[in-house]
Amino acid sequence: MSVKATKEEKEKETEEEKLPEDLDLKVKKYLRGGAANFDDLKDKKLKGQLSHREFLYGASAKAAAKYEKWLMPSEGGYLEADGPVEKTWRIKQEDIRREVDISSSRNQHDVILPEFSPYTLDFTSNGQYMAAAGRKGHLAIVDVKNMIPRREIQVGETVRDVVFLQDQSFFAAAQKKYTYIYGQEGIEAHCLKDQGAVLKLQFLKNHFLLASINKFGQLHYEDVSMGAMIGNIRTGLGRTDVMQVNPYNAVVALGHSGGTVTMWKPTSSAPLVKMLCHHGPVSALAFHPNGRLMATAGKERKIKLWDLRKFEVLQTLPGHAKTLDFSQKGLLACGTGSFVQVLSDFSGTQNYSRYMNHSMVKGYKISNLLFRPYEDVLGIGHSMGWSSILIPGSGEPNFDSWVANPFETRKQRGEKEVHLLLDKLPPETIMLDPTKIGTVKTARKKEKSTKKEIEAEMEATVEAVKEGINMKKKTKGRSKPSKKLKKRQEIIAKAKRPFLEQQMHDGQLTIKKQKISEEVALPKSLQRFARKKAAT
Amino acid sequence: MVETKRKGRDEPKHNKMKKQKSSGSKTLSTKKKSKRNDARKGPRLPNSLRKEVERLNPSTQLNSEDEDINSDEGEFLTDDIYEYEEKIPQEESRKNRRFDPVENFEYELPEDFEDENVPSDDDEDEDDDLMDNGGNKLEDSHDEIEEDDDGRHVRMLEGITGMPSEAFEGNKKKNNVVISEAYPESEYNPTRDVLDGGGRISMEDLLGTLQKKPGFGKLRKIMDQMKKSEAIEAPLPTVIREKMERQAAYKISKKDMAKWEPLVKRNREAPTIYFDEDTDLGFSTVGAIASEFEPRTEFEKKMASLVYDDDVMEAHKKDGSRLLELNQVSMEDEKERHNRIAKMRSLLFRHEMKAKHIKKIKSKTYHRLLKKDRLKTAAALTEMDPEAAKEQAMKQEFKRAEERMTLKHKNTSKWATRILQRGLQVQDEGTRAAITEQLQQHALLTRKMNSMKDGSSSSSSSDDTSDEDDVDEDSSVLKEGRASKLLGKATEKTLKILEEEEDEVPDSGIFSLPFMERGLKKRKEAAEDEAKLALQEYEVSMKQLDDPSGAENSKIKASSGRRVFGAANIRAPESRDVIKTDNFYANSDSDDDLEAKENIFDMGKDGSCDMQKDVHVDSVLPHEFPQDSVFKSFDDIVRDPGPKTTYDVAIFASDKWRKMESRNKVDANSKKSPVAVEPEYNQDLQEPVKEVGENSDTESEGQMVDGIISLDPKPTYELPSQTELIRQAFAGDDVEEDFENDKQEILNEENPEPEKPVLLPGWGQWTRVQKKKGLPSWMLKEHENAKRKREEALKKRKDAHLKHVIISEKLDKKAEKLLTKTLPYPFTSKEVFEQSIRMPIGPEFNPATAVGALNRPAVVKKPGVIIKPIEFKEVNPHENKEGHKWSGQKQKTKKSKSDGSMPRKKMKKAEGKTKKVN
Repeated sequence: MSVKATKEEKEKETEEEKLPEDLDLKVKKYLRGGAANFDDLKDKKLKGQLSHREFLYGASAKAAAKYEKWLMPSEGGYLEADGPVEKTWRIKQEDIRREVDISSSRNQHDVILPEFSPYTLDFTSNGQYMAAAGRKGHLAIVDVKNMIPRREIQVGETVRDVVFLQDQSFFAAAQKKYTYIYGQEGIEAHCLKDQGAVLKLQFLKNHFLLASINKFGQLHYEDVSMGAMIGNIRTGLGRTDVMQVNPYNAVVALGHSGGTVTMWKPTSSAPLVKMLCHHGPVSALAFHPNGRLMATAGKERKIKLWDLRKFEVLQTLPGHAKTLDFSQKGLLACGTGSFVQVLSDFSGTQNYSRYMNHSMVKGYKISNLLFRPYEDVLGIGHSMGWSSILIPGSGEPNFDSWVANPFETRKQRGEKEVHLLLDKLPPETIMLDPTKIGTVKTARKKEKSTKKEIEAEMEATVEAVKEGINMKKKTKGRSKPSKKLKKRQEIIAKAKRPFLEQQMHDGQLTIKKQKISEEVALPKSLQRFARKKAAT
Repeated sequence: MVETKRKGRDEPKHNKMKKQKSSGSKTLSTKKKSKRNDARKGPRLPNSLRKEVERLNPSTQLNSEDEDINSDEGEFLTDDIYEYEEKIPQEESRKNRRFDPVENFEYELPEDFEDENVPSDDDEDEDDDLMDNGGNKLEDSHDEIEEDDDGRHVRMLEGITGMPSEAFEGNKKKNNVVISEAYPESEYNPTRDVLDGGGRISMEDLLGTLQKKPGFGKLRKIMDQMKKSEAIEAPLPTVIREKMERQAAYKISKKDMAKWEPLVKRNREAPTIYFDEDTDLGFSTVGAIASEFEPRTEFEKKMASLVYDDDVMEAHKKDGSRLLELNQVSMEDEKERHNRIAKMRSLLFRHEMKAKHIKKIKSKTYHRLLKKDRLKTAAALTEMDPEAAKEQAMKQEFKRAEERMTLKHKNTSKWATRILQRGLQVQDEGTRAAITEQLQQHALLTRKMNSMKDGSSSSSSSDDTSDEDDVDEDSSVLKEGRASKLLGKATEKTLKILEEEEDEVPDSGIFSLPFMERGLKKRKEAAEDEAKLALQEYEVSMKQLDDPSGAENSKIKASSGRRVFGAANIRAPESRDVIKTDNFYANSDSDDDLEAKENIFDMGKDGSCDMQKDVHVDSVLPHEFPQDSVFKSFDDIVRDPGPKTTYDVAIFASDKWRKMESRNKVDANSKKSPVAVEPEYNQDLQEPVKEVGENSDTESEGQMVDGIISLDPKPTYELPSQTELIRQAFAGDDVEEDFENDKQEILNEENPEPEKPVLLPGWGQWTRVQKKKGLPSWMLKEHENAKRKREEALKKRKDAHLKHVIISEKLDKKAEKLLTKTLPYPFTSKEVFEQSIRMPIGPEFNPATAVGALNRPAVVKKPGVIIKPIEFKEVNPHENKEGHKWSGQKQKTKKSKSDGSMPRKKMKKAEGKTKKVN
């Protein structure tokens, strides 16, 4: 038996004396919040174990911070104005084209397909492929890296939205009546009939859920790995096609005509959060990749940035946006009419300001904006086809092949799929704060204990009372066994009474509640015909 | 000389002994003593030697009352240097009186003789001694003489008082004789003062030898103390003494055990313990194992002798030519072998061919006959051959015993018990059948076999029945007849069912309720329809069977026959289905599909003109039918609006569409109703569909013709559609208030507002005073309390301060399982626990260098390594091996101070650790 000695430790120490200062920051990032204070711990053993754990965590964070240099070698660039006079938003796409290399300049293009437009776009998570769906029944899968159209199909009916599933091998299209899932070759694999006429689709990558909102404001979650309907929620907030998934916690947000934004998870029928964001209808919605920032655009010509930790407005910008999108690096693109504006906060203060502008040809109506992952490219779906422009500093320069590999080979794709399936998360894990998983359940204030508990409590009190009974010896026949028994029963009944009363009371309450809800259930148009309640 | 040490006081003893011997005066009592003397231990020494020894070990006792006894005792006491016993010579022990019993060999003095001249003798002796010693010690001798006088005086006193001699010795002075010593002091040669001090060895004597040793001072101190407390306490009782002993022993052993403490502590604190990682487990390859093989059994030895034959080995070592020589086989042998193999091969081939042929025979009759034959032969064998019969019986018996033992078919299985527990009546037909079958099998198996015949006959009979079935099924000759029979049966059955259906009309209970009745009726009708359809089909097929026309003809007939039942609404979905399947599995090449396709084409070709139209309509219809269903669902939704809250805007908007769409629907329906229309109808139908799409999608679409859209190339700005406009117009209608109401509602739902205290009218309102007083105070108080409680609850909500946000406080039961109910064991603080699980430890989240350490188990051990008991090793208990004790906390504090130096140091160590880990 031996406990491994640490010989090299000392040698290392001298080496480590000169640590760059910036590493500290990175280490802090990887420590994920740091250890708790162990001072209050009485348990020495636990203290020791925990401190050892902390030590290991520290080592790991340290190593990770060091390896960052190798694993994330490049830093994203961005446009920088030369002086106070020059403005970044004055730089045109043509100016950029002159500066960049050929392969990048290929990303500036317009595809004019007026017959089937307007187009909606979707990129795979690694940015290799793009799906474009023309409203009038054109579905196209394009290898955007090589600029090769992979597959084109005509479905012959309205296509409202298209979304890639786990990777380019499947994509779902919201068509006129149903949602269809197509394979890589454009062959229809499934028809999701029970979702109805879907307006907007979103795919929750880690959960393998296809979320859809249909014409009647019903939110559906369909597990595409098993084909099971996980959630069918009636939002009751009317028709909307503003839907976005928060990439951090997979909570689906919907923007409604009442100016509210609701956030949903498949396992609860009530919205997790309902917030009044605008006074007009919400026209667009986007989430920052870190999940802490949300941008909403209202019809009352306002764009708001929200802090999702406090649910407070960070910034209100004037302007209208039909579509919004955050890039991987946190640039915010807003599109309205034929004009695209990109906002940025390179300072990191979450104070978004104008970064770039782009105007399409007059008359082109932008319907969809989407940043391409791992590239400085913004895809624009509009009423004449689709375009792609360069937005320097929008894409993540370093990729993690465990997450998404822009240079994925076929074999890697296959393996990735298997891994994704193995690592699939159950739908219950969708919650506002996913770090809460594994923590201790918060003790709910118990207004109502369950029937069983009440019964148990009653039994316990009765038992206690029974044990406590000791009768006095009384004369004149008052200590007869019959009298004693009677007295005893009386005492027990008295102990029981409050519980029984409580139960009765509860029963009454529920009946009342039902009545009330019935009243509410009447549609407003019919309410005036309802009999007036007798004044009490 | 040793004799110089001799003292004058001892002289008398010797003299007395001598005298005793010479005088031989022995009383009875002395005899006993002498006997004891005889029983002394040690070797038999010659007399002279003994004398010397006696002189060397002078008696320590001064008790000289009875002198001869004294001397004896002295001898006895001083003899303990000898360790072993020598047997007394037989002559002396006088055991068996082999020797003449001689009482006394010496001359005995008469009883009354008194020796008075003793002192003079002594004196003479002493003088002699003195003479021997030389003249230098004259003074000493003089003292001795004096002393002798003292002794005599004592004796005298003794005689007078009758008290022991010690009582009178107090006044005796120590003699200060200086004697040079020839030998070093030892226990054999005690110092003079030892001899002097009453012959006892005192503590000082013993201490004297230790004077120069370390720890002497301490010892002396203890001695002094001991001297002070003169009184010696009585020994403690054994129980207490033992207890104290145990305590002392415990202390010692505790101290002994304490040495393990650092070692154990280190092991306990170590995050990982490694057990003998250096142990070499040796090779485990097949070759390594094989090389250690030793032949043990006869066979193995034989094999080994052949394999390790010297010749062979040598041949192997050299080239292979010698091996060939060794392998030589005779020509004849080889030929014979060849022939044999060829024969076998041909036989095998023939057998194979035969088997193949037999296998290819598809005739069921043949197989049936074969089976029968086989059974027959088996039966015959059992009849003819008692051996086989016996075997069969044994087998049966074995099976029976097994069944009786295991009760495998006696509803003991998990499934069966469960079924029975739930009640057999509740189960469906299939389960019950299965259960009965099982039981039957059990009965069959456990039935006692009276004779062999019984069993075989039963089985054969069952086979017969099955055979009969086979006959029924397989007789291809009677195929048609059979088919007609079947059809006839089927018609019969359906008719029966139809009749039955008419019979049963419940007139009470739930089924008598009007809507139930209606439902039942509807269903019945549907069933009847189906039955009729089936009947017709049977009829048709009967007819078809009757006239033996060609396949094509029959097909046509079938299609035309279908037309007979005419109901287009039934046919349409059917054909649609067919078409659909065609579309769906266009690429799949299953036979059925192809057939279906053919069928359709046939229909198209052979059928009449209107038939073709029908098909066309059918192909269009699929567009229509689901449309209807969508409308329905939409209607449903409109009928029951969303939970509680009403949203004017949405519903209003949707209402609009509904109206428009329903209009469209009517159009479509009206156009749809005439079934037989020209193919142009196709487009007609398409248009409304398209319109619907337009309306619902609120955006214009191109014209679609046959699935391909005709496009107008110019993008034109269009006004937003009606619905869009309405939606926008009504959207921002006082959303804030709506939201507030909403929030209030949700709050009320989660924390209901307390009811206002109300009195029943008339109660407690008898007098004006009562009315004036209002509600009783306790009611008010209760209400107040409830209100306050609610307020508090509302304040605790996360969205209490956010006017524009409602955060649901509802518990998600499904997500509950992802949380822990209680803190896991060693943790006492929630915060610490939650912090401890914040870091992912998987390989996805940590560098490869750290993953190993993060996931290392508490004990690392190779399989096969024997864990030896712990060995003692010197461990410095104060060394802080980990070097990071409580570092987490420190780190934090340092960080908060933004010091940065301390944590970095920690990090260094951390780095070192990780290096080690890898």
